[in-house]
Formats: sequence, structure tokens, C-alpha cells
Amino acid sequence: MRLGIVRGHVVLHTAAPSLRGTRLVIVEPVTAENLASGNRRGGGKALVVADHLDPGLGQMVAFVEGREAANPYHPGKAPVDAYCALIVDDGVDFRPPREGGASPSGQAKG
Amino acid sequence: MYLARVDGTLTATCKHETLEGCRFLVAQRLEADGRASGEPVVVIDRLGARRGTIVLVSTDGDALRRTQGNTVPARLSVVGIVDEVAGGAH
Repeated sequence: MRLGIVRGHVVLHTAAPSLRGTRLVIVEPVTAENLASGNRRGGGKALVVADHLDPGLGQMVAFVEGREAANPYHPGKAPVDAYCALIVDDGVDFRPPREGGASPSGQAKG
Repeated sequence: MYLARVDGTLTATCKHETLEGCRFLVAQRLEADGRASGEPVVVIDRLGARRGTIVLVSTDGDALRRTQGNTVPARLSVVGIVDEVAGGAH
């Protein structure tokens, strides 16, 4: 799973039958640098994620990609390749070591 | 499978029902020279890995389906805590 910030949602005029009842949120993935600095920014390439948890704008979520994203529809099938698995409670306590090059500021907490 | 360094944890009150009781780590995949690369990933941990440790991450979603049920929306799980990596810069 990757982490991302909810930037909006999509409403479809016409949808594949298996997608009915699924909310679609626009998620901006969070880079290591942004996660470490806790600036609530994303920085990755935005994607559309299927969702049943209803996160709000600006909330951080974790989403699974690939085949497992359709698992929640089992035993049915759905053309879904990204699915929101959880809403992060209160920022992520992410503190990579400075020499790793992932945290230029070295700041913790997000 | 790949190696990753545990750099954080997160909690999630609101999550898919199959993830109830799971522990979530935030980790970064490691290159052969020991440097972290790519975006951070959330990994499900049942072994008790701590911050700063290097773990073996499996991308086999079927492993999680067996323990959490067929509808689990997750793929990455910790399958080992690394003692030593020989030959690398870890």
C-alpha cells in the first residue's frame, strides 16, 4: 500500500455495473520527503482510488494497487486497480535516518 | 520479496473490516547499496518489527488472504526480521 492525500472525488455519468455503489476519490501519493516533513503535501502522480470508507478532503489514506485492489468485491469481480484500505488517524510518525537521504530536513512527525 | 527499513508506524481507526487488529508499519524499500528508494509503503506486520529494523517484505497477497480473508485489500506483509545482510552496505 502507498499513502496518499485525498484531493477530490469523481462522479460518473455512466459506470460499469460492478462499480455501482463505489465512491471514487482522487488521491495524491505522498513522497518520503513530504511524509518526513509532515507538510501534508503529496508530490506523487494523482490517481483515482475506489473507496467505501468516505475520507474527507485533505485526509491521508493508504491504498492498495494491483490485483488485490479488487479483493473487496470477492466473489464478484470489478475493474478496480486501486482501493482505499484505511484512513490514517493522525499523521504518520515517520522518521527516516538522516543519512538515508530520504529526509533532507530531518524533521519528524506529520 | 524485498528488503525494507521500518521508518514509522501508523494507526487507523477507520479501515476495511478485514484489517481489524493488524499492525501497520511505514517502510522504505532498500536498494542493493542499502539506500532507501521510492515512495514509503504501508506494510502489515505480525512479527513485531520495530523502527529502524530491516524487514523482509513479501508482495504475495495470497498470504494475507489466507489469514485475513478473501476480501482483504492489501498485499504487502512482513515475513521476516533481518538479522544481518552480508555483502551490502546495510
